[in-house]
Amino acid sequence: MNGPLIVQSDKTLLLEVDHELADACRRVIAPFAELERAPEHIHTYRVTPLGLWNARAAGHDAEQVVDALVEFSRYPVPHALLVDIAETMDRYGRLTLSKHPAHGLVLTTTDRPVLEEVLRSKRVAPLVGNRIDPDTVLVHPSERGQIKQTLLKLGWPAEDLAGYVDGEAHAIELDENGWALRPYQRQAVENFWHGGSGVVVLPCGAGKTLVGAGAMAQAKATTLILVTNTVSARQWKHELVKRTSLTEEEIGEYSGTRKEIRPVTIATYQVLTTRRKGVYPHLELFDSRDWGLILYDEVHLLPAPVFKFTADLQARRRLGLTATLVREDGRESDVFSLIGPKRFDAPWKEIEAQGYIAPADCVEVRVNLTDSERIAYATAEAEEKYRFCATTATKRKVTEALVRRFAGQQILVIGQYIDQLDELGEHLNAPVIKGETSNAQREKLFDAFRQGEISVLVVSKVANFSIDLPEATVAIQVSGTFGSRQEEAQRLGRVLRPKADGHQAHFYSVVARDTIDQDFAAHRQRFLAEQGYAYRIMDADELLTDTE
Amino acid sequence: MSPETTAPRSLAEALRARDDASLSALLRSRPDLITPVPTDLTQLATRAGTRASVVRALERLDRFTLQTAEALAVAREPATYDELLGLLAGDDNDPTVTAAFPHALGTLREQALLWGGDDRLRLMRTARELLAPSPQHPSPTGLGPTVGEATAGMSPGRIQEIVAAAGLASTHDSVSAVASLSALFSDRSRMSALLDEAPAEAVEVLSRLVWGPPYGQVTAEPAAHLRWLIGRGLLLPTGPGTVVLPREVALHMRAGRAHRVTEPLAPPVEVSATRRPQAVDAAAAGQAYTTLATVEELLKDWHEGGPAVLRAGGLSVRDLKRTAVALDVSEPVAAFWVELAYAAGLLASDGETEERYAATPAYDAWLELPAAERWARLASAWLSATRTAGLVGGRDAKDRTLSALGPGLDRSAAPEVRHRVLALLAELPEGAAPATDSLLARLYWERPSRSARPAPDDLRARLAHWTLSESELLGVTGRGALSAQGRALLGLPATADTKEAEPSGPGDKLPAHKRHHPVTAPVPHSPAERAAAATRAAGLLAPLLPEPLDHVLLQADLTAVAPGPLERPLADTLGVLADVESKGGATVYRFTPGSVRRALDAGRSASDLHAFLAAHSRTPVPQPLAYLIDDMARRHGHLRIGAASAYVRCDDEAVLNEILADKRSQEFGLRRIAPTVLAAQSDPAGLLTGLRAMGFAPAAESAEGDVLISRAHAHRAPPRAAPEPVPDGPPVPDATLLGAAVRAIRAGDLASTAPRKEDPAAGRPVDGGLPRTSSAETLATMQAAVMTGEAVWIGYVNAEGAASQRVIAPIRVEGGFVTAYDHTADEVRTYPLHRVTGVAELADDQS
Repeated sequence: MNGPLIVQSDKTLLLEVDHELADACRRVIAPFAELERAPEHIHTYRVTPLGLWNARAAGHDAEQVVDALVEFSRYPVPHALLVDIAETMDRYGRLTLSKHPAHGLVLTTTDRPVLEEVLRSKRVAPLVGNRIDPDTVLVHPSERGQIKQTLLKLGWPAEDLAGYVDGEAHAIELDENGWALRPYQRQAVENFWHGGSGVVVLPCGAGKTLVGAGAMAQAKATTLILVTNTVSARQWKHELVKRTSLTEEEIGEYSGTRKEIRPVTIATYQVLTTRRKGVYPHLELFDSRDWGLILYDEVHLLPAPVFKFTADLQARRRLGLTATLVREDGRESDVFSLIGPKRFDAPWKEIEAQGYIAPADCVEVRVNLTDSERIAYATAEAEEKYRFCATTATKRKVTEALVRRFAGQQILVIGQYIDQLDELGEHLNAPVIKGETSNAQREKLFDAFRQGEISVLVVSKVANFSIDLPEATVAIQVSGTFGSRQEEAQRLGRVLRPKADGHQAHFYSVVARDTIDQDFAAHRQRFLAEQGYAYRIMDADELLTDTE
Repeated sequence: MSPETTAPRSLAEALRARDDASLSALLRSRPDLITPVPTDLTQLATRAGTRASVVRALERLDRFTLQTAEALAVAREPATYDELLGLLAGDDNDPTVTAAFPHALGTLREQALLWGGDDRLRLMRTARELLAPSPQHPSPTGLGPTVGEATAGMSPGRIQEIVAAAGLASTHDSVSAVASLSALFSDRSRMSALLDEAPAEAVEVLSRLVWGPPYGQVTAEPAAHLRWLIGRGLLLPTGPGTVVLPREVALHMRAGRAHRVTEPLAPPVEVSATRRPQAVDAAAAGQAYTTLATVEELLKDWHEGGPAVLRAGGLSVRDLKRTAVALDVSEPVAAFWVELAYAAGLLASDGETEERYAATPAYDAWLELPAAERWARLASAWLSATRTAGLVGGRDAKDRTLSALGPGLDRSAAPEVRHRVLALLAELPEGAAPATDSLLARLYWERPSRSARPAPDDLRARLAHWTLSESELLGVTGRGALSAQGRALLGLPATADTKEAEPSGPGDKLPAHKRHHPVTAPVPHSPAERAAAATRAAGLLAPLLPEPLDHVLLQADLTAVAPGPLERPLADTLGVLADVESKGGATVYRFTPGSVRRALDAGRSASDLHAFLAAHSRTPVPQPLAYLIDDMARRHGHLRIGAASAYVRCDDEAVLNEILADKRSQEFGLRRIAPTVLAAQSDPAGLLTGLRAMGFAPAAESAEGDVLISRAHAHRAPPRAAPEPVPDGPPVPDATLLGAAVRAIRAGDLASTAPRKEDPAAGRPVDGGLPRTSSAETLATMQAAVMTGEAVWIGYVNAEGAASQRVIAPIRVEGGFVTAYDHTADEVRTYPLHRVTGVAELADDQS
């Protein structure tokens, strides 16, 4: 009894990483437990019903889970917890959605009382048709997503074995010329294809786009790709042309400016969720072709209406790509029921250790407000407080000092407030990319940055997502969207791409001391600290005197 | 069986014939008989025959023994051994019944519920009354009255008709006619012949009544098949429209069995799962550790003033909820932990005016014990406690909520059920978890409630359920099976194999005073034995509990993980410095600004904290944590807050110096908090007067800082009502009150003036006084009055000590109470006999 794992009564699992059996243990618990925190010594996993059902969907049974816990646990595992795990896992698969040769889509059960229970629910009743036999009930094909969502809410997740339509075939090959899918990417594609639909969790910079491309090469069918914004859409297009046999002409962009529908179409969430007079005019996109695969980029940002559309697309293969399953709105269960169970994940540190993402040095620089700023801060309205402390003049000095220190490297300055950014741009003599910058202008600037023609770029939150800036080695964050952990991870992701010369990336977060800026920063950093990215804290004075 | 020369003629005689061993067996199984010790065997026999004692004894019989008693109650009296066996084993002589029968008979005889030789078995009279069927209390056997009982009061002519219809020789003597009818019904072959002739519907009717209840309804014009049955006495009328199936007929149709299902054997406890004994012990030890942690956490939570004690006693629902949240368990489980700590004497009410719950000094002593002994203390307290946490949240007979730590939670059966359940678990192979249903069935067999089949709300079944879940929580069992330490706690030897050789019981004179199988394991042991068992359990548990650690792992995400239990001082300090985020085998602490501030408030300095962390961390202290502590320390105490009731402010610092230097200012409790401000402990008015007396001319300031201008103002009382006028004498009574008063006066008059029989022995009191008689006479007169149904005149003192005279017609004298129709109050009332000062008969014209 000296295993690496400690099972807590609140269903968290603590894994001592320095233990000799830690790796073996990690491998057996990863399928059913969600990695919650991965700081340096003890990793925390959490066992949730969704996690257990994910494991069931991946073919693990309760016996394996219980055995894994009992085998690796340092202390006796509470009996109640084992019973609970077995019972929870047992709930998955009692109900199955499948295709009946005569009746079409049916819901069958191996446990009649469960079927009786769910059929008595008011929410299930409108989704089902006639009872064919005591264990089988008809389901309207259009309600396939709805019923999965509802059953999950009732605690009886249904296993979807109804299969997929192949969709319109379209030849897509990976063009592995001078590069190759990394082993974990290959594994992710394989797991996804084997599972049918689901979500692949990879850290920013770990090459999620290539996993998407790999999945398309597997499907060899027309593909609809949903991304967060236009820049990201261009990025996808660029990457697909480069990495696959697809040509520019085969890839369409469906966004606010262009409405192309081609064998591979990249659409933005924003255009899909545009509403005019209470209807979504761009919904037809989903039906405009016989799609064989639907890709969701950044699943954790999927807007609520897209879930609704997705519910109607259950007959098509769906692949979700994300850096985290944690959603700030708590709709993880919708991701599970509508897109699919988690098919693959790998912690950041592991991929970093394999050399696929750059190691990063994260530093929080604390600046003091001046006395007059402190008075202004104290008297500011609550909603203005963050703006006051986040845009303190000292931050500018610190940023300038940092830029001086890393002169010659590719530096991104990221912030929330346009005035602040404009001011910084002026002082640093660097171009500013913000909401009003045209897409053409953005691409031009990005390109210049990539080529090394510009070494400092000031960007607002428009650059948060999916822009590949390969040689950015330093990121300086001066303000953010309050306490968004999500954003922090994305911004760190900007500098995590492996560097050509392999040198370290730097991530600086400039924070005003003793203000809510500091509280927000703590909240933002928590996610990364839990992922093993420890922040150092520095005083601004220290930094300023150093560089002087 | 026994070679008796003279058969005993009463229970007392039968007892007299017993030897000492068998008498002490009787007293052991029915301890209520020796409190107080009876003076002689006659008194013992009388006491053994009291209703309360017999009910108690019957309730403690196992199912088969009870069935034997029930069968004897419907048998001929006295019955022979074979007759009784026949009623249980049936005509087909069930061999298991035959094998179990002598033991059941022995038990009944040992408990003096049955007496007489094997040829003349008699059930004690009270037991017979309790078990014999009557229309009000149908027998559990479902049998009706005998032909003899059912035809009592029937006209001789009617009996003659029945006898004739049944094809028997007619006789003019009703008694012999009934006897021959009864003989016919008891004779299997003749009876079969008779029933063969019966119409099919008639047989159908009989078979519906055969297993009871034996009563049926008939209309005034019964159908032909019913007439056939009634005509032959196979159904006998018991009243207008009702008929009964006579016992002899039912027994014939039941093939002689008194019970539909005779259960001679105790149902075995089935095994639902078997686990490795080591795994069981380890799981139980894990839970034992949780127990200790939880109890400590509970009392720590109540450290600074626990929840208030409700006026009716106990913990309020809200406090229980709060405790459940604090412990992160469900409310019933929280109630269990609270009750456990209470039962172990670790917490109690503090007895102050505003009563609160608090840890006792015993808790501090308990904390000093090694972990295994701490657990043993809790577990043995649980085992013998009569308080049952499972009842918390339910309602008592008066529909009041039962609260944790409150009154009404004691169930005297609880320790015995706990012991029994665990003893049954101990009989299973090591590592085997029982199937709950079979366990409950076994418990029910051992102690069937006399009323019905096992009901889900049966107290013993609920107690058994609670025992199973509580022993799992406590770690007496692990994964459902009894652990080695649990076994030791029960005082059982380490292995389950403890079958003693069956002693062969001799005959009547030495009934089964050596138990064949322990139906109820005697709740064992002297305190010394219990302590020894607890020590042994602690010894077994100790190596299984994790060793306390002296270090934690600090991480950059501002958490500290203790990968096991911590040494107490370390845990205490860390508990102040960080918030507990997750509990279990390990503890996860999170450092937050709030928690660090708490440590600073507790008097720690930043350097203390750094040293503490460095000393106890196996890993270097992460920079963000060091930063957090320094950051908090920098700001801690920056603002200072204190209380003052007045201040003195003066722009001239010299004046303030002067005031402070003056001795007379000492009484104001002045302190300089700034060059120009003094804070004072005395109120502004006192300060003002005092400073004036010292020769200064201070002015008062309002809250806004303006100078207050003093001016006289009128003083007012709060709103008050004008006084009520005080009239002379009481108000005039209304008609209802008057009527009631007159009635009461007249009734009282009747009581005091009723002519009583002169009885020199009764010590007739002077007129108007209360009658005085000795208690023996009072009782005798009352009992006589019950027989004759006459009214008597009594003196009575109520609970407040007020004496009154009453005329009552006693209905029943029982258990020290007389139930009577009270003429004075015009209703039926019950009076305790000891409050009756005396009794006198009424003169004839009044009764």
